[in-house]
Amino acid sequence: MISAQNLTKKFGRIIALDSVSFDITPGEFVFLTGPSGSGKTTLLRLIMREIKPDAGKLTLQGPVKIHEYRRTVGTVFQDFKLLADRSVYENIALPLEIMGAVSADIDKAVKKAIDLVELSARTDLFPAQLSGGELQRVAIARAIVTRPKLILADEPTGNLDPKTAKTIVKLLSTIHEQLKTTVLMATHNANIVNHLGKRVIALDLGKVTNDNPKGKYE
Amino acid sequence: MNSPTSTAWSRIRRSPYQALAAISIMTMTLFLGSIFFLVAAGSQSVLKYFETRPQVNAFFKSDVVPTTQAVDLIKSKLETTGLVESVRYVSKEEALQIYKDLNKSDPLLLEAVTANMLPASIEVSAKNPSDLKTIAEALKTEPDVEDVRFAEDIVNQLAVWTNSVRLIGFSLVGAHIFITFIISLLIIGIKVSNRRDEIVLYQLLGATGGYISAPFVWEGILYGLTGAVIAWGVSYLILLYSTPFLIRFLTGIPILPVPVGFMLTVLGGELLLGAVIGGLGGLLAVRRFLKA
Repeated sequence: MISAQNLTKKFGRIIALDSVSFDITPGEFVFLTGPSGSGKTTLLRLIMREIKPDAGKLTLQGPVKIHEYRRTVGTVFQDFKLLADRSVYENIALPLEIMGAVSADIDKAVKKAIDLVELSARTDLFPAQLSGGELQRVAIARAIVTRPKLILADEPTGNLDPKTAKTIVKLLSTIHEQLKTTVLMATHNANIVNHLGKRVIALDLGKVTNDNPKGKYE
Repeated sequence: MNSPTSTAWSRIRRSPYQALAAISIMTMTLFLGSIFFLVAAGSQSVLKYFETRPQVNAFFKSDVVPTTQAVDLIKSKLETTGLVESVRYVSKEEALQIYKDLNKSDPLLLEAVTANMLPASIEVSAKNPSDLKTIAEALKTEPDVEDVRFAEDIVNQLAVWTNSVRLIGFSLVGAHIFITFIISLLIIGIKVSNRRDEIVLYQLLGATGGYISAPFVWEGILYGLTGAVIAWGVSYLILLYSTPFLIRFLTGIPILPVPVGFMLTVLGGELLLGAVIGGLGGLLAVRRFLKA
């Protein structure tokens, strides 16, 4: 699914990633851990093809054209990135609209995604009317509505209280199990990582310091 | 599902003052454009009218009745110069008829005049108004010709005036089109900038450049179309209002009232111009951002 070999990325003199190597197979749930500035977001941006590596090789499964590739990836952001002037339903429908899906298909897929994140009672509300946990659920529904093969989550619990954060991660875990989606989640929430006992790739100062199939946050 | 046009419309409604500024400048430019176009088209028609009228009149001596051979000889001499469009002989009887037509409202003037009192003449139209003088000089050398008159000054002045109108119109409207384009670019550029996060999100979700650009392009087109309709309406109203005065001013020159079909063509042109200016402004504003 994702194969990185000696991946290096620099921003001026700063080395964000330094010879990073790992492989992620389809259907895996992987935590990407490390302190701020360790290179987690840079790695996710490389996988999203927002930026290019300076050295090494990153092999990604999917179409060659960037916009087509991104349609096969669901992304969840720490700051949700929901459109304020669109309702919950419209925000979730956005990726399908972009793909040019017909209204009937959009409706069917959006309703399924809403059911999965348990937001049926909130479909007509706008982001300003929702709690932090609900906002992140909307963002997750938007990420899964196209049934992507890969979900990238960049600190999805960063802005949430511990209880809500646990619920969100549980939701991602459920989606991973039900839809067999590969999930790569960047976090520095030790409780969550330790609770789930999934694979952990730890980064520090741009290097992989640990890659454990049933890892803990260190 | 939101279409690009409905997205554009909702964005216009959410920032009415920016929309007002864009539409105002668009209206002003297209109004200027339509006024200059109408003035240029009008003066062109007046010029055409004068160009198609007989431009040189050579009057025979009033006691001379030219023979057909003599007239044909003058005609063939003129035609061999290659400068004339048409030559027409007006006999004394035809001259009397013209005189009667012109003065039919005044019987006193008609009573005293007979065909013998009026001179026969030759009416010549030139291919190019600048050759009128040469033709006139050639006619003056004919022994039976007593007087030669030609409308050189009128046609030449009209041609100069028409060219000036075109030149001033082109420069002024061209400059305004450029300013309008820049203002559209700025206004839509501000909107693009305000929606920076949204555009980045679209890109991350896999939207193509076309999908992101379309609402901004439509927004520019809507500004252009609205401006064109207002500009056309105002200029048409002004034209209709001033038509009675202009008809009196242009007595005998049949260019007014302006046909509705012509005005609809003007509207079509303005809609196209407005849409191109606005659409191109929107496209460049968003492309500049996407490239950055």
